[in-house]
Amino acid sequence: MRVTRLWNLLGDTLGNLRRGGWGGLAAVGAITVSSLILGCLWLLTVNLQAILSDWKAQFAVVVFLREDITATQRELLRRRVQAETAVAAVQYTSKEEALTLFKRDLRGQASLLEGLGENPLPASFQLRIREEHQTGPAMRVLGASLERLEGVEEVLYAQEWVDQIGRLVSVLQVAGWAVGIILGGAAVFIVANTIRLAVYARADEIEILRLVGASRAYIRAPFILEGLFQGLLGATLALLLLFAGYRFIAWRLGLAPVGLLALGAGRFLDPLQVSGLLAAGAVLGGMGSLLSVRRFLKA
Amino acid sequence: MIQLFRVHKTFGKDVEALADVSLDIRKGEFVFLTGGSGAGKTTLLRLIFRDLLPTSGQILVAGRNVVRLPKREVPALRRMVGVIFQDCKLLMERTVAENLHLVARALGTPEAAARRKIGYLLRQVGLLHRASEIPYRLSGGEQQRVAIARALMNDPLILLADEPTGNLDAELAADVIRLLREVNARGTTILLATHNATLVKEQAKRTVMLKAGRVVGDSGA
Repeated sequence: MRVTRLWNLLGDTLGNLRRGGWGGLAAVGAITVSSLILGCLWLLTVNLQAILSDWKAQFAVVVFLREDITATQRELLRRRVQAETAVAAVQYTSKEEALTLFKRDLRGQASLLEGLGENPLPASFQLRIREEHQTGPAMRVLGASLERLEGVEEVLYAQEWVDQIGRLVSVLQVAGWAVGIILGGAAVFIVANTIRLAVYARADEIEILRLVGASRAYIRAPFILEGLFQGLLGATLALLLLFAGYRFIAWRLGLAPVGLLALGAGRFLDPLQVSGLLAAGAVLGGMGSLLSVRRFLKA
Repeated sequence: MIQLFRVHKTFGKDVEALADVSLDIRKGEFVFLTGGSGAGKTTLLRLIFRDLLPTSGQILVAGRNVVRLPKREVPALRRMVGVIFQDCKLLMERTVAENLHLVARALGTPEAAARRKIGYLLRQVGLLHRASEIPYRLSGGEQQRVAIARALMNDPLILLADEPTGNLDAELAADVIRLLREVNARGTTILLATHNATLVKEQAKRTVMLKAGRVVGDSGA
């Protein structure tokens, strides 16, 4: 008997969706737009966070050495640098190795190296920094300390970039929440109105059901399910559009796809995040219908 | 079966629909509720099936205190009470059988039992041959008979009828009353509101008369 009831409930819900017409389309469209914008912001945040995390993992400070540094001085300097608490590992790159790496990086543009004459690249130490010390102030203190050491020509680190990307991620997260709340509110409002129209359209039937003693849950369930379906449908469309857009941009940037949802340097939302976006759409739709049913369906 | 104790119902601040109404309708009775327009007949019926709450007073229906009934128990009360209206309140885009089936589904009646019940009731009201028609194609009397069949779908202990013959000519009205008497003969308590004095006289049943919201006569008291 429960299966029959469930079947009837689904039938009623689908009937409502079919009868919803333009109103139903508007509700689905509103959720699609909201979910799409939210999805875009989320995707951007996810990718920036991934970039940030990659940078942090490979985070390096480069200490360029003076031309006239002796082997003994270099070894002393290495020990001194290694002793810094922020430094996880030190790797030496000689002038020759630096040139080889440079040539490899400029592959196909070898003409740029013509006329260089003597190797102009300095020897260097590449320092890997412990993650807990990868902050702006800590890096500035370390940089200043290293620059004062005997045999050091220059210290380079990319902390400013890391900090800026980090700030951008924070701004995007705040913007995502703000846009999400505004667009989510609008979507809930549109769904609520669609459901209100559906309630009005079935006013006679609802009155009869009330009179014969149908439970409140029985009367309300098709409308609430209708909102949930609209939300889920809207979020699914948004995800499809988002994925198509993502693939298009990846193609334009010439990134090679790695797996279905991962692309070379970029990445799409993971299955959990995809489920989250779908759930958010369903919740928006459900909230809209619940609001409407509570307000207009006094059963 | 239905007891009202000093029931008052006021709409807004000063529109008094019922004033100090006390009534006792016993199980299996057929009672006419009469009075002119605005006498309070419809309000009284709506109070019985908890479509409205009284301003003061108590109402007992089949032993349940309707006034104190929690909201979640209202559907259970309404399953004991069938209601018929002057305008029938049929769904015009659905067939006669579908109108009855709607109730069976809402009450969770298994499909096979629902079909048997619909067939039985449509035979009782003489409309089995019109089960597949939409109500628009039926006469006023036939529509009212469908409404009666629908009200009987949940085997109610009480049937409340609000001007069920109001839109019908004398012959069709007599037909509907005959049908309701048959229902009453099987044990259902009936309270029928009407302003048709001729109809009431013909039936020689207990009659409660309302005037300006007060009981001014009760032939069975």
